Amino acid sequence: MSHQLLTISGLSAGTEDKPILHGIDLTIGAGETHVLMGPNGAGKSTLGHVIMGDPAYHVTDGTIALAGEDITDKGPDKRSLAGIFLSYQAPVEVPGVPLYSFLRTICQMRPELKTTARTFRRRVGEIAERLDIDQGFLTRELNVGFSGGERKKIEMLQLLLLRPRLAILDETDSGLDVDALSVVSRGIETYRAECDGALLMITHNTRILERLTVDRTHVMVHGRMVADGPAELIDDIDAHGFSHFEDALAQKAEAQQ
Amino acid sequence: MMAQTISADQADTTILAHVNVPPAQTWNYLRINDLSLEVPTPYFAGDVHARLPRLFERVECGIGADAVTWMCRAAGDARYVEVRADDERAEPLYVDVDASSAEVRDTGVLVRAGARATIVTCAHGGGGDTSASLLRVIAERDARVTIVEIVACEGTQQHLDAVGISAAEGARVEMRQYALGGSKVALGLCCDLAGASSRLELDARYLVGGTDVLDVNHVVRQRGRATRADIVTTGILADAARKTMRETIDLVHGAKHAEGSEIETVLVTGDDVVNKTLPVILCDEEDVAGSHGASIGAISPEQLAFLGARGLDESAAERLFARALFDDAAIHAPVDEARAAVLARAATVLGADVARDVGEVLGFDQRGA
Repeated sequence: MSHQLLTISGLSAGTEDKPILHGIDLTIGAGETHVLMGPNGAGKSTLGHVIMGDPAYHVTDGTIALAGEDITDKGPDKRSLAGIFLSYQAPVEVPGVPLYSFLRTICQMRPELKTTARTFRRRVGEIAERLDIDQGFLTRELNVGFSGGERKKIEMLQLLLLRPRLAILDETDSGLDVDALSVVSRGIETYRAECDGALLMITHNTRILERLTVDRTHVMVHGRMVADGPAELIDDIDAHGFSHFEDALAQKAEAQQ
Repeated sequence: MMAQTISADQADTTILAHVNVPPAQTWNYLRINDLSLEVPTPYFAGDVHARLPRLFERVECGIGADAVTWMCRAAGDARYVEVRADDERAEPLYVDVDASSAEVRDTGVLVRAGARATIVTCAHGGGGDTSASLLRVIAERDARVTIVEIVACEGTQQHLDAVGISAAEGARVEMRQYALGGSKVALGLCCDLAGASSRLELDARYLVGGTDVLDVNHVVRQRGRATRADIVTTGILADAARKTMRETIDLVHGAKHAEGSEIETVLVTGDDVVNKTLPVILCDEEDVAGSHGASIGAISPEQLAFLGARGLDESAAERLFARALFDDAAIHAPVDEARAAVLARAATVLGADVARDVGEVLGFDQRGA
C-alpha cells in the first residue's frame, strides 16, 4: 500500500456566514487516483478549494495534512509550493500578464523546477504541442478572451509543467467539446504516467474516467461524505444517480432527531 | 535627418503652462486640468529646417498646441514618410529618441488609402534634461496602422511624447502605449476618427515608481458614423509615484451608431502614491454608446486566490505584474532597438537577472535584442 499523501480528518468549513462541509474524512495515498462525485451543491468544489487553502473559505474544525505535515493554517501559496495543484473549474482572467511570464514565474518559484530560459522554453513548447496549444497563446494575456476549452488546456499545461504531488481537478471536463475533452484526458493521462502524482477528480462525467485507473470513489451529499468504495461505485452512480445517497442521509438525519 | 539637440548649458528655459489639457475641464482645485513643464527654450544654429507638409498642422495631438509648437521648434527638423496606396510596408518605421542627448523628434506619416504600416517610437536613456517625440499620422481610407509608443527613460529625465492621428473612412488604428520610465513624462494622444467606420484600439500600459510623475491625456474624437474606439489602460503605481490620467471620448454630432469605451485598471503597490483619473464621455449625438469602467487598488481577491494556488503570495504576484508589463512591451516591440530599450529599463526596475531572463525566455537572446 502506498504511503498517505493527503489526510483530511473531521474537516468542517464554509464561508463566513454559511457552513458547507461537515466532518469530512478523506485519505489519498501517493500516486493514487480518487474520484469525488455528488449532486450539484454537494460541496465538492468547496472541498477542493479548502484543500488548496482558498481564503474565501474558513476551516472551523478538523485538519488537513500533506505527507504528514499539518497544512491547515497554511496559505494557498505555501500549499502550492508544497505540491498541491487545483485546476479551476472557471480559471480566472489575469489581464496584463502574458501566459509566458506567468508560467516562467510559477516555475522559478520552485527550486526543483528552476531551469535555464532555454530549457524552460523547450519544455513549455513540448507540453503545448502535446496539448494542441498554439504557441501564439503563450504571448497572450492569461485566460483573457480564451474559450472554456482553451482555458482548460492552459490549466493542463500548468499541471504538466508544475508536476505536483497532488492534483485536484475540479470538473475539468465541464463544458468541453469532444476534441477538447480528448486533449484534456490526454493531459491527465500524461500527468499520471510521467509525474506519478496523486489525483483527486471532481466530476459528474464518467467519460473522462474511462482511460484512468481509479483507486477509490467517494460520494458527497450536502457537505458530508456519505459513501466510498472501489471504482465500481462509479458504475453504480452512473446507473442509479445520487438519490439513494440523499435519501439515506435524510433518514439518518431524521433518526438522529 | 538629425534631430536638434539642446544642451542644458545652452538653454534658457520656457514654461509650457497648458500641457495635456482635456477637452472638458473640471474643478481647478483638483489640479487635474493641465500640466506645467519647464523646458529648454529651443536653440537654433542657423540650419535650414525641413518641415512637414501643412496637412499635418491640422492633426490634433492631445498634448496641446503650445507643446506641439515647442516640439516642432526644438526638433528643428522633421521626418516625413509616405506609404503608397495599397502598399504594405514590411519594415516598421522606427523613430528613435535618445533621451540622454535630449533629442526631440518631429515625425509625420501619411498612410495612403488601403496601405498598411507599423510605426514604432521609442525614447530611452536618461540624463539629458528634456527629450520629446511628436508623431502625427494621417491614415487615409481603409488604411491599417499599428503604432507602438515606448517611453523607457531613466533617472531624472523629463520627456514629452505626443501622438496625433487622423483616420479616414474605414481606417483602423491599433496602438500600444508603454510608459516605463522617466522622472516626469507627459503623454498626449488624440485620435480623430473622422471617417465612417474608422476604428481605434488603444492598449496603454504604465509602470511608475519612486517619485516619478506620469501625466497622460487620451482624447478620441468620434466624428464619423459607426466609428469605434476601445481604450484599455493598465498600470502599476509604486512607492510615491504620481499619475494623472485624462481619458475623453468625444461623440461628436453626426457620429450616429458610434461606440466608445474606456477601461482603466490600476494596481497600487505604494503607500504614498497619488493617482488621479479624469474619465469623460462627451456626447452630442443620440444614437451612440459610450462607457467607462475603472478598477483601482490591489489585485482582486479572485486573482489573488488563483495566483496563490500557483504558488504566488501577494508580493510575488505584484512582482509578476511588474515583470509582465516589461514582457508585454518586449513582445510587442517589433524593432530590436526598441526591445533592447525595454530590457535596459527592465534591468533598472526589476534587476539585471530578471531583465536577462525576460529576454531569454522570450527568445530574444537568439534573435538579438
